[in-house]
Amino acid sequence: MSLAVVGVSHHTAPVEVRERMVFGPSEAANALVTLRQEAEVEEAVLLSTCNRTEVYLFPNRDDRPIRSWETLLQRKAGQLDRRLSDYLFERRGDRVIRHLFQVSAGLDSMVTGEAEIQGQVRDAYERATTLPVDPPMAGPVLNRLFQMALSVGGQVRSETAIGEGRASVASVAVELARKIFGSLGGKRVVILGAGQTGELIVQALSREGVKGVMVVNRTYERAVELARQVHGHAMEMDRLAEALRSADIVLSSTAAPHPVLTRPVFEDAFPRGIHRPLLVIDIALPRDVAPDLGDESEVFLYNVDDLRKIVDEQVQLREGSVPEADRIIRAQSDEFRAWYASLEVVPVIRRMRGRANEVRHAELERLLRGMDHLTEGDRVRVEEFSRRLVNKLLHDPTVRLRKGMDRGGGADLVDAVRFLYGLEEGELPPLDGDG
Amino acid sequence: MTHLLPLLFYIAAFILWVRCLIGGSRGRGPLVAGILTAMGVVAHGAALLRFWLHYGELPLVGFGAALSSLAFVGALALTVMLPFREMSRVAIALLPFIIVVQAVAVLLGVEPTPLVLDFEGAGFVLHVSLAFLGYQGLALAFAAGVLYLIQHHELKEKRLGRFFHFIPPLATLDRLARIGIWAGFACLTLALAFGWAWTVENRGSLEMGDPKVVWAVLSWFVFLGVLGARFGGGRNDYRGALAAVIGFGVVICTYLVLRLTVGGEGLFL
Repeated sequence: MSLAVVGVSHHTAPVEVRERMVFGPSEAANALVTLRQEAEVEEAVLLSTCNRTEVYLFPNRDDRPIRSWETLLQRKAGQLDRRLSDYLFERRGDRVIRHLFQVSAGLDSMVTGEAEIQGQVRDAYERATTLPVDPPMAGPVLNRLFQMALSVGGQVRSETAIGEGRASVASVAVELARKIFGSLGGKRVVILGAGQTGELIVQALSREGVKGVMVVNRTYERAVELARQVHGHAMEMDRLAEALRSADIVLSSTAAPHPVLTRPVFEDAFPRGIHRPLLVIDIALPRDVAPDLGDESEVFLYNVDDLRKIVDEQVQLREGSVPEADRIIRAQSDEFRAWYASLEVVPVIRRMRGRANEVRHAELERLLRGMDHLTEGDRVRVEEFSRRLVNKLLHDPTVRLRKGMDRGGGADLVDAVRFLYGLEEGELPPLDGDG
Repeated sequence: MTHLLPLLFYIAAFILWVRCLIGGSRGRGPLVAGILTAMGVVAHGAALLRFWLHYGELPLVGFGAALSSLAFVGALALTVMLPFREMSRVAIALLPFIIVVQAVAVLLGVEPTPLVLDFEGAGFVLHVSLAFLGYQGLALAFAAGVLYLIQHHELKEKRLGRFFHFIPPLATLDRLARIGIWAGFACLTLALAFGWAWTVENRGSLEMGDPKVVWAVLSWFVFLGVLGARFGGGRNDYRGALAAVIGFGVVICTYLVLRLTVGGEGLFL
């Protein structure tokens, strides 16, 4: 098979195996060079993320590149509890195109529609393009395939709901904050308690530019510890009302058996009521925030069930878009195949015309050999006639062949021309061929 | 006919915005809707320019002409917001107002009044133009206010559906409403001052029973009320949004009541 992808993914290998096969940027570059040296691989792109490590190969002559890649993977992973082949997946020919397009669009991700994979595909492609080897690792075929994959990823995300909404509690919290405050730059966050999910949410909010994180905890030392991690300030629990007064976002995740943010605490913080939006995210069980605070017009209170329900709805919305995304991927896969087939048409036309001219020259020579009485001018006219005749006879087939390729006639049309004109095999290996 | 073309552009843009809302604002829908709005503004500007060149007077006098100019000011303000992705979505609430005003203008005919009038001079032009800007400022605050209330409701109900994703953040809507109210208030105040000065200079005195005057003064008090609701007793964004929606409703209802009961010369009101 000419086009192939081989590797491990979250579908085929558990995290303990995948984590042993992750290639950093320089390791990936070295691996590509090794493939070129050991198996004379013409084109290869290595994609390695926490959920997949896979190499795209073209052309895969005699499976040598695949064997070489498997050796590399085995060397990287070391001793495994099972054979390497038990964890590997392999796709060939057309299925590679579809696979890469699905990966780039986030359809093959652990969380359907996740956006990070698009950037990881781009990095892998750019690494192969910029590697200082000659010819480049991303040659004409993989170059085109990856460019189309990135474009398909963008198209699927912009034309379907696959990337819409948020699929984790932390990202939903950020989305809610954005829809209330717009930009989160300069917003102030109060963290109540020091749970791990709370930490993840604070990290996500920090990436959006929130400033002034205040950590309020029953144990002051723990508050200081967390404050150091999130570049915030620690406060004791009895200063909660003071912290609330300047807060835009409150994130609560204490292990307290009763509500911590109660109506009296709230009224102490806002004796004249609250007149600006306050987002309160309560991910503690039992809940930390008195539910009646959500009745305040400017308080947007979300507990862990609310967030979980939102996440579920978002995931459902994304999965509902898979058929639409598949339709785009199918259409783009066809387009890639048509492009690949069109590469074959140029040498076929060249050979077809060359063959016709060979016949013309031979026949012309035979004709003129027995016509010595012709003047030089007559000979030129006869030769011109033969040239025009051949051109006219080949004009329509050439035009129709190009049109046929544009309409997706593909390899069958090229094969038919080869058969009719008795031409030898093409220069390019077929996508599904043996290279 | 020339004033129908912008109306068609505005309607097409509005339909596209609604499609973006229903189907998720993906792909090029918002961009195309923005381009249609901008094309409508260009066609509208050309139609008003043609009116000016053809009749030798600005399209400020005559009911249809005045309404078309009012719609144009609103569409122009909307076009300024188009480059800003989130702000541009206020079009879904502002375009219906622009469409209704322009549709009435087209139905009535955008022509100069046959009456021989003395409405001229820089003071008069400033008075009418600033008044249009003032009313469009209130319309903008209304549009932003409506979206604010819907988004607020979605957030309180914990529904992250189509409205939630389509409508801009509360802070963006509040900023737009504030711009609309302050700019509108300033423009209407100046418009009233210019109108008073022009009337005193040309007519000797201001007739307080004139429906135009009643409406304009009432509108000015509505602005004051909206500003009071927004900033009185500490800033309150939700109250501000609600007040802008109610205020706009009051201005429109007052207009309709005055138009249907008292009537006027049919020049502006």
